[in-house]
Amino acid sequence: MAEPSPRRGASLADGLAFLAAVLVAFVFLFPIYWAFSQSLRNPLDTFTVAGFGIPWVNFTPTLANWIDQVGTPETLRSLANSTIVAIGAAALALALGTPAAYAVARFRFERWKNRDITIWFLSQRVLPPVATVVPFYLVMRSLGLLDTHLALILVNATFVLPFVVVILRQTFLDLPLELEEAALVDGASHWGAFWRIALPLAAPTLAATGLIVFAFTWNEFLFAVALSSRNAITVPVHIAGAVDTRGVQFWFMGVRAMTAIVPPVLIALLAQRYIVRGLTLGAVKG
Amino acid sequence: MRWTGRIRFLFLAPAVAWVLAFTIFPLGYSLYLAFFKVEQKVEIKRVQQPVLDERGQPVIEDGQPKMRNVVLRENVTTSTFIGLDNFRRLVSDPQVADAVRVTLVFLLLAVPAELVLGFLLALLFNRQIMGRSVLRAIMILPIFATPLAVGYVFFTIFYEVGGPLAWTGIPWLSHPGWALVSVAIVDIWQWTPFCFLVILAALQGVPDDLYEAAQIDGASNWDMLTKVLVPLLTPTFVIVLLIRLAEALKLFDIPFAMTGGGPGTATQPYSMLAFRTGLRFFDLGYASAMAYGLLAVVMVVIMLFFRRMRESYG
Repeated sequence: MAEPSPRRGASLADGLAFLAAVLVAFVFLFPIYWAFSQSLRNPLDTFTVAGFGIPWVNFTPTLANWIDQVGTPETLRSLANSTIVAIGAAALALALGTPAAYAVARFRFERWKNRDITIWFLSQRVLPPVATVVPFYLVMRSLGLLDTHLALILVNATFVLPFVVVILRQTFLDLPLELEEAALVDGASHWGAFWRIALPLAAPTLAATGLIVFAFTWNEFLFAVALSSRNAITVPVHIAGAVDTRGVQFWFMGVRAMTAIVPPVLIALLAQRYIVRGLTLGAVKG
Repeated sequence: MRWTGRIRFLFLAPAVAWVLAFTIFPLGYSLYLAFFKVEQKVEIKRVQQPVLDERGQPVIEDGQPKMRNVVLRENVTTSTFIGLDNFRRLVSDPQVADAVRVTLVFLLLAVPAELVLGFLLALLFNRQIMGRSVLRAIMILPIFATPLAVGYVFFTIFYEVGGPLAWTGIPWLSHPGWALVSVAIVDIWQWTPFCFLVILAALQGVPDDLYEAAQIDGASNWDMLTKVLVPLLTPTFVIVLLIRLAEALKLFDIPFAMTGGGPGTATQPYSMLAFRTGLRFFDLGYASAMAYGLLAVVMVVIMLFFRRMRESYG
């Protein structure tokens, strides 16, 4: 880590930096905290609570909203749908993207060079989704797949594929080549070297990548709202729909926002190491 | 040292086929649609049908099958080739001009602020302080918080009667100008952490010797910042800027939840207009032309990004 060498007054500067860190942490946590605080309030307390809305200090908290909202069939179904879609999309994207990442990391391509292939995969990540939503809608409609898990799995796997390729390509490049070469000398096929040597070594990254793309899929809204109407609605679509029919009921919104936000956020914390590299398409190694 | 076995194509084939089917094909289909006027209509037809009895046999009355009037509703999609009309309409449509303006103002408000704040925070916390790893973890939360839910949460935060920011007296959501500022603030909240994490990672890659050398040469902190760090980090800034530009052009979820594009169309970005045109008003051909307008801009950003990155993907 690069640290400026210690100077006089460094401890004061460190103290100020610590205070600044607390302030910054407060600002970036506040909205999530606020949703949580709202979720613990009576409807009557929603607009009358003073200050930072601290439970027990500014109002008497209640679990009534959580009990009311989390158990409803609609909420449970949207949670189940989001889980199914996110797991399906993550599995599919890993199955497609891992061999492709191995190919660009380990083999030499000539007509289209390795870097061209990598860029071709990665450029999907930057495409605006609204550019493909109309054709996807029409194709899914003519296939009778509107409002199904399958449609959302197919679409989301496409969006997260570049992420899988960029993370795993670098992982395979970082693995020592000798192990796979030894296996090849011993008569293993390329597929065997991939399947029995490289893949197990990459397993932790594979798991972390799966978690991150799960979170991306969980958060996707535009395609979910375009392609689902009743049976396949995911958590974000459920939230938007509840607002359409009943208006924003702040106390319930707090609960719903928390159920949407908590799973992807926890998952991202588990897979922190790969986030910077993944989000910059490999441009910066975090 | 890289292998050249033919099997390399098999490793690559599934993913390539997938991208062709799920990205290239839709883009092509979209381009095709952009040259058509696609209309979805419900056609109501009155027809005569024979009345059937319980066994499914026509009921005979006076030697003729008894008939009844039936109203049939049919969804009919018609498409007419109209050449470049959708694109002509695109450049003269005041709604489009408005959405472009909203998107540009949003970009100018949010993206520079995210970069500058992210850089300042990275400078501030590029030192050993208590709880830095906790701070880094906290900064990951906004990036992964469901944007749609974040939009609704900020709706309650910006609420002008009894919300936590009501004391400011600012019409956060009801005034067209402020509403767009509010959307930008939410985006800044969500993406400053990304800029912070990336720039911090780059800062930590700056070798210690450089600081020491600068100090020996008697450089002030300001010189250090402007003459050493900023030039060194410029490639990182450019990459972060291009990624944020490409992502910010997709803006959709936050205004969808927080303002619904309003008041009026004051916070309706381009993506939202295209989405509504296509999937709420089912003007599919025009929506496709709109999508291509956006695509043209994004392509420029993508090409700039990958031109910078080309060597590192070798």
